[in-house]
Amino acid sequence: MNRMGREKIKDLSFFLFPMILMILFFYIIPLVMTVYTSFTPLRNWNVERYLFEFVGLYNYERLLYMFQHDPTFKAVILTTVVFLGITLVINVLGGLVLALATFFINERIASGFRLLWLLPRMSPIAVYSLVWYYFFHGSEIGTLNSILMKLGVISQPIPWGQIIPWGAWSILIFVNGLVGVSFGMIVFTSALNQIPRELIIAARVDGASTWDISRKILIPLMRWHILYVLTWQFLSLLTTFHHIFLLVQWNLINRDYGTTLALYVFNTAFGRGEQDQGLAAAAAVILSIVGIIGGYLTLKLLKFEKMMKKPRGDF
Amino acid sequence: MGYKVPILRIAIWRGRMKALKGIVLIVTLLLGVLACGCIGGEKGTSQTQVSSEVQLTGNFTRDVVAIGRVLEENGIREVKFSVWGAGDPNSVMRVYGIVEAGRRINRIWEEKGINVRITTDVYYVSSFQNAYQEYLSKQPLGQAGDFFVNSYTYLPTLAEEGYILDITDYAQAYNNVIEDFYPSLLEASKYRGRLYGLPQDTEARPFYVRRDVARKIGLDVDTLPEKVKKGDFTWSDVYHWSKKAKESGATQWGLIHRKGSAHPDLIQFIYAFDGKLYNPQTGKLVVDVPAIYKWLYVEWKFARDGLLPKDIMSWDWAKQIHPTVVEGKTLFTIGGTWYWTEWQTKKYYRGRSLKPEEVKEWFGYTLFPAGERDKEPVTLSQPFIWMINSKAGEKNPKYQELKDVYHKLAFLMVVKASDPDINAIHSVISAHLPVRKEATKLIKDEKWLNDLKNLKVDLDERVKESIKDIVQVTVNPINAQFLADVSYMLEYTHLAPAHPKYPALADIFTEAVDKVLRGDMTPEEGVNYIVQKVKADPELARNVEIVGEVPKDWKFPE
Repeated sequence: MNRMGREKIKDLSFFLFPMILMILFFYIIPLVMTVYTSFTPLRNWNVERYLFEFVGLYNYERLLYMFQHDPTFKAVILTTVVFLGITLVINVLGGLVLALATFFINERIASGFRLLWLLPRMSPIAVYSLVWYYFFHGSEIGTLNSILMKLGVISQPIPWGQIIPWGAWSILIFVNGLVGVSFGMIVFTSALNQIPRELIIAARVDGASTWDISRKILIPLMRWHILYVLTWQFLSLLTTFHHIFLLVQWNLINRDYGTTLALYVFNTAFGRGEQDQGLAAAAAVILSIVGIIGGYLTLKLLKFEKMMKKPRGDF
Repeated sequence: MGYKVPILRIAIWRGRMKALKGIVLIVTLLLGVLACGCIGGEKGTSQTQVSSEVQLTGNFTRDVVAIGRVLEENGIREVKFSVWGAGDPNSVMRVYGIVEAGRRINRIWEEKGINVRITTDVYYVSSFQNAYQEYLSKQPLGQAGDFFVNSYTYLPTLAEEGYILDITDYAQAYNNVIEDFYPSLLEASKYRGRLYGLPQDTEARPFYVRRDVARKIGLDVDTLPEKVKKGDFTWSDVYHWSKKAKESGATQWGLIHRKGSAHPDLIQFIYAFDGKLYNPQTGKLVVDVPAIYKWLYVEWKFARDGLLPKDIMSWDWAKQIHPTVVEGKTLFTIGGTWYWTEWQTKKYYRGRSLKPEEVKEWFGYTLFPAGERDKEPVTLSQPFIWMINSKAGEKNPKYQELKDVYHKLAFLMVVKASDPDINAIHSVISAHLPVRKEATKLIKDEKWLNDLKNLKVDLDERVKESIKDIVQVTVNPINAQFLADVSYMLEYTHLAPAHPKYPALADIFTEAVDKVLRGDMTPEEGVNYIVQKVKADPELARNVEIVGEVPKDWKFPE
């Protein structure tokens, strides 16, 4: 390697090493540890006793056996597909609509409006979940039931989350959708602010409507951001379980049609009165593989490589 | 020339090595001489061997003093402990009992001029399941409490993993104290024949009957406990009277029970139908299909006929379950002894709590009725156990040398925390049942109750301050009488199996009950669901026997 090459590597290493260390400590090492743990019988956090015992593929076999024979597993898979599909569309399209809507109105009002949509994300998970727990509660103490009963729309309270499958799914999608929309909104707002104003002014001069400007100028220029939000939200939704866990745990939504794959994995490994880290690690590895395949397919389908092509011409 | 430099270097290196060996030899000899001098001169000098061992004799004061002296000789002035507990707000003595034990030991040390003191931190949460999860994850890191009070159902796992101390050998010296505990509770503190803790409290699960509602429909509550005891009043009768109460408009519901979990309250159905949950011969858990089918059928029938809310498993404790019971909207309630004082301290009744007189006037209580005519009534207990962390005392100086001393001190603290008066105070203020015969005698003593009411008892100021409001509300003859009245139920009690896989099985029961109550499954489908779920996990399947079949000619109500 010539002197120039070595110098370049040296410079690159200097600037990259904090990020490389971070990736090593927070991504690579945990990943390796998870894969390693999945081959051990580690349970009840008894590292001293179990961490150096090797059980081969036992945890994977056990997990696959449970997938095959658990009477509720089909409902879990169906719930995951519906939840992921609909919430993803809501998150990306909702974020896009909010960003575009606030782009065309007065900045002060827009900021306030955006802040309002950030509230679900800023609220502690338990508090936010509790709000919806009481709102959708299936008895007369539930806010929604109480309002509808007072208005005379219904005479008996409706157990919304227990109407299967769509009642449970609707609450699941609604609660998570509200949290996710704000992420897309922020990314898209930032993207919109980077678009030169001249383009919009010129289009306006040419008589383009807001819809035309959005469809023909703004959205095409935000393709990269849309792809990013789509991929990110897909992976987030695939692995999220915090809000769902609380809603199921509090019996607000039906257990089978309220449980996604991520929550199923958590419950299988931790939620059954046992703490089985070996099994949990195997489940996490499987979930990661699903995520990697899903993420790869999203990037392929949306032609990520084409977008990342080096620009032509010299710098 | 090319070889000269290495040869020279080797020669120098050899020379240095020789010199080094010489120095090592001289130092070794000098140290040897010094060591001989020390050993030989021991008698003549004032230096003494510091002890790090104590033998327990069974004489509490003598043992505490011996431990205090060893700690003092080792330069320890303060021993820091922490106690973790969980439960309802009235059960805080689960942690303050240990604080009080520390104070009583400090007093002995002070009287004997030993300059060592115990300080105890407390950590008390409402959910005992969460407390267990936290202990499990923090114990290996050395961050869990030195004392852990929790359900006996967790004891096997904690013992199996080596997270709690085996106190069998220590307890031998204290047989006089150990023998005063009720034997069934001591059994619940054992795992594979070894003792891992001392019972802290227990309870029965009375079947509450609303007196005013019963009066309206002609049900005699005064004779009911006896009828239930003889097996003359079964679940079929519960169904008939519930139906009568609802149809006559006397109440909204016939029956109310807990939410969220089948364990422990609903597990009583299995025993009431003479079912089993554990096979001692094989050491496996049992899914008793006929008993479980009957249990699910009763729940299903009650829910279908509108006598029990079909969504009861998702009801809210404070906003729905307790208010429904105390406001007289149900005839029967499957509850626990602690409800008795909880209704007196929590504002469940139209924004206020109940007065002791109201509780007495409105509620009668019986055993959990037999499932059928030829079966026995039951109750179920879930003793709480004082367990000692296997790393108890780790945060104190010289832990490695004095480990055994710290462990013995922790054991003696648990012995002291089991003093009859501490146990009796906990029982009265939280409506749990005493674990020792001496404590049972004490709660019948009116003078002692009066002294407790006025807090004229030998307790740490910090403990008094923490329990004074609860004492004010709960210490009265009515509550003491209630405890005395329900104590016979312990003769009928069952304990759910202390098996590491039991919590997983109980979770499956919960799911099945919820589905059956909501009408998503028939009782038979519910049983099949349980069997399928058990078989889906190879490890659970290995630990569970499935016995019997769904009875074909069984009818409910009889």
